[in-house]
Amino acid sequence: MAGLATTFGSGAMTNSINEIEAAEVILVSGSNTTEAHPQVARRIYAAKDRGAKLIVIDPRRTAIARLADLHLALKPGSDIPLINGLMKVILDENLADDLFIELRTENFFALRDYLYRLDLAEVYRQTGVAPEELRRAALLYGRAGKAVICYCLGVTQHVCGTANVEVLANLAMLTGNVEKEDAGVDPLRGQNNVQGACDMGALPGMLPGYQPVTDPEARQRFAAAWGVEPPAWPGRTLLAMTHGREPDSGDGPVSKSDSPAAKPGGAGGADQPGQPDPASGIRALLIMGENPLLSDPDLNGVAENFRRLDFLAVSDIFLTETAAQADVVFPAACFAEKDGCFTNTERRVQLISRAVAPPGQAKSDLEIIAALSQQLGYPMDYQSAAEVMEEIALLTPIYGGIYHDRLAGGWGLQWPCWDRQHPGTPYLHKYYFTRGRGRFAVAEHQPPAESTDADYPLLLNTGRVYHHYHTGSMTRHSAILNRECRHPLLQINPADARARQIAGGEAVRLISRRGEVEFKAELSQQVPPGMVYGNFHFAEAPINQLTTTASDRRARCPEYKICAVRLEKAGGDEGRRP
Amino acid sequence: MSDQYLLSRDHLAPLLRRLAKEYRLVAPVRNDHGDTMFQEIANPVATVPDLESQPQNSLKDFLFPQQEHLYDYRLDDAGGYHFQPPATTTPPTLFFGVRPCDLNAVLYLDVVFLPGRRELSYRRRRENSLLIGLNCNQPFADCFCAAVNAGPFLEEGSDLQLTDLGRDFLVEVGRAGGAEIIRRWPHFFRSAPAEERNRRFQLYLEARGGFSRQVHADQAIKRLAADTLPSGVWEELATRCQDCNGCAYLCPTCTCFTIVDQPQDQHHGRRLRLWDACTATGFTAMAGGHNPVQPGKDKLRQRFRHKLELDVKKHGRPSCMGCGRCVGACFGGADILHFINLAGR
Amino acid sequence: MNAVPRDRVRENVFTICPYCGCGCGLYLRCEGDQVVGVLPSRHHPVSRGNLCVKGWQLPEVIQHPARLTSPLRRKNGRLEPVSWDEALAYCAAELGRIGAEHGPEALGVLASAKCTCEENYLLQKFARAVLKTNNIDHCARL
Repeated sequence: MAGLATTFGSGAMTNSINEIEAAEVILVSGSNTTEAHPQVARRIYAAKDRGAKLIVIDPRRTAIARLADLHLALKPGSDIPLINGLMKVILDENLADDLFIELRTENFFALRDYLYRLDLAEVYRQTGVAPEELRRAALLYGRAGKAVICYCLGVTQHVCGTANVEVLANLAMLTGNVEKEDAGVDPLRGQNNVQGACDMGALPGMLPGYQPVTDPEARQRFAAAWGVEPPAWPGRTLLAMTHGREPDSGDGPVSKSDSPAAKPGGAGGADQPGQPDPASGIRALLIMGENPLLSDPDLNGVAENFRRLDFLAVSDIFLTETAAQADVVFPAACFAEKDGCFTNTERRVQLISRAVAPPGQAKSDLEIIAALSQQLGYPMDYQSAAEVMEEIALLTPIYGGIYHDRLAGGWGLQWPCWDRQHPGTPYLHKYYFTRGRGRFAVAEHQPPAESTDADYPLLLNTGRVYHHYHTGSMTRHSAILNRECRHPLLQINPADARARQIAGGEAVRLISRRGEVEFKAELSQQVPPGMVYGNFHFAEAPINQLTTTASDRRARCPEYKICAVRLEKAGGDEGRRP
Repeated sequence: MSDQYLLSRDHLAPLLRRLAKEYRLVAPVRNDHGDTMFQEIANPVATVPDLESQPQNSLKDFLFPQQEHLYDYRLDDAGGYHFQPPATTTPPTLFFGVRPCDLNAVLYLDVVFLPGRRELSYRRRRENSLLIGLNCNQPFADCFCAAVNAGPFLEEGSDLQLTDLGRDFLVEVGRAGGAEIIRRWPHFFRSAPAEERNRRFQLYLEARGGFSRQVHADQAIKRLAADTLPSGVWEELATRCQDCNGCAYLCPTCTCFTIVDQPQDQHHGRRLRLWDACTATGFTAMAGGHNPVQPGKDKLRQRFRHKLELDVKKHGRPSCMGCGRCVGACFGGADILHFINLAGR
Repeated sequence: MNAVPRDRVRENVFTICPYCGCGCGLYLRCEGDQVVGVLPSRHHPVSRGNLCVKGWQLPEVIQHPARLTSPLRRKNGRLEPVSWDEALAYCAAELGRIGAEHGPEALGVLASAKCTCEENYLLQKFARAVLKTNNIDHCARL
């Protein structure tokens, strides 16, 4: 989301989901929409039936790619040159929205100068997308009155994820496809409340409402409410905590700017009083409802780090892989057993309500945190989730008008919602961008952290499957979902399979520089030759043992979409995994 | 339906209040969100049934719920199962405001579940229920019941059948349970004069003319029976279907189910019966992995053939009641209306 | 039988799907304290009368017998059921001890994109105001 923050000033979907249905052209990049965001795919199908055009950018031929009028099957990790190429064609064809650029944006000349120098032959070499295809896509998008870009983790989970997003934002600004209904740039957020967790400051560098911890005034506001001032320097990111070190170090070729001292999320530059030594590690972790021992990249590294921890506490609804390693486990209430809010991908804050009692002695995380806090001498005296939301409204301007009583009986409110009278904001950046003017950010091709070589000749791409969700701690407990999708499958192009004499359904072993995992082979034209694709929902085939922690320098999003692997027949003699 | 009475609109709420003392009263209720669902009404004066909108759910939710806890089980060391059914009570239930499509759907569920003696929970609920139907003077937006002979007026099957005449409801007695209501609370009802009975017929003709769609279900039925569907229909539907199971779950007559065990530990767990869907790939997969249905091609064939071909052969009528609940709900636009349109191409 | 009048029938409880970021509005159908079904909201702007397969299968998961029902504490290498008081006191003591010995930067907190806004808010407040560290993050990037 950092890419939209630098260009637009606000890292969230600019439209509402239903606006997608009314767009004339929909560009989907790095999103397996039918499986990961079915309700968005439903709008795309409806738009198509109405006559809208669909462009899909994805190395895999997914269901949405098959539906597309134009499928640009780019080489993995070549998003930047592809979009730059599209923009060059749009400029050459005079399809840029000069008035919008003049009135609403800045730094256009830098982009223009860069694009003038761009060589489309070079773009073809880098992306593998034929120039005529590129041109067709550019004309389709550039001529649309209302065009929407939907992107997902296929864009962000790269070492250049932030820049990947920036170029998409450039494309939208270049053609004036922001600021209006049914046109914009829409990151599809993967989890029910990932937007809300970000909004609430569950981030090392941000207080609630994206107020930086480095801003003394923001800290003062929270100190006044809490009686304690938050620390002034950003904390550690997820990967730094689960791996016990900042990512990238010693993890294949990465750019120079990725050295630990230069990271904003890291603990570099010890000029703040009390600022910790970056070398000191995490010794205790408190985890609420996450399962890093299945979800995080390079799992063997995570497991090793967790063994080093002095203390691990986990709160969850099932005994997950992570909870099973904990020193203390709290049984948590699930969504059906508590009150509160989820904020969906279109920034819609919605009320959930308790339908049944939690099982046994389980308690909501709200109660658990408050009880822990009480034990540590800081009483948190809230009568209800509604009362917590009142404190949030007080301290978080974008949630300023969001109260439970306003949400009840309606369909929620889309932030920013500044006060009790404010009706919420269906689409962003009308009249002005959050940061003032939209900023064009020039980006050049950055190759993936890991490239193939003789030992690891294939690229591994990972993602979700329709029937399961994340680490499967819920969906794998559904007999019907498990029946529909029981086995961890690895999609292999038939040509690659033939070369290794692998048949469909056969057990195969996939090996990266970090580990090896067994799968059942699924021969599929969905993946191009040279790529294999697997899902991360399965504890019995933890694909993240293979993935790399190499991650985007700014957003710290790991490169789940690319790592180099080798594929072998599993053979019966070793029998390493069921 | 022979005996006919008038019930003044003013007396409807008092009648329901009276009935709610004897029965669990279930009727369409519109909530704060504007959604209308069949649900229990504890106080029929405070909560007025919504007779203006089509309820989202059908009586299937009550008679054959999505998830039924069949047993708690214990597995002994010898591998033997010991079953303990959970304690259940089935209160006598009165379903009020049931539209002809939904009532016909219940009659279809009866055909599926009542014969034989093994299906106890459906029988228990069904035998404990009374149905008060309401004819549709104005079809809802997605309805096509007339095209499958399931509405807009009901000829038989309910205990009492109501027609909205304006100031009064015409009340027709269908079954013994309805006659019992008239007998026990006669003061709510008065005899219907002949002209009011004629108005019912007039309203029926007007309702038949009120459908917003022309749906040629008969043509799809004929072509299915003669195996003369245009080519490519199943393939097109299969590419559009996104495996949500929603059409089967929303449908008042879909009865696919599966039985699963949920283990608590090695020796204990619970056994559930769950709704299932023939559109799901795993529904037809056999042990060993063979699947007689090719998901890429035939995914929706079972569903539409069952509804519009096999049940016509077996029971003389399609098991689609034209309620329209699946219309517009499909993620890829592969609902039964879409099929009927493709089949008639 | 005379049905006992109930003040409030909690039969169709409106809530939001806990899976992907679409945020479908749905009703949990309850009988007593059992979830027996799910129903998409017809007028909700996202769900529009349908759910994906994961949402439809929610009732199976909510009251699964494998749910955690008691606090657990590792004793002699095994997780054993303990009281809430013991689990909370143990956790607080360990966080307090490690924070005191190694400084607050030795403590880390992972919040959750599955939990509510209120819970995430409270957890980051707990990290910042009680543990005195900004070491809080969640799997937004995964």
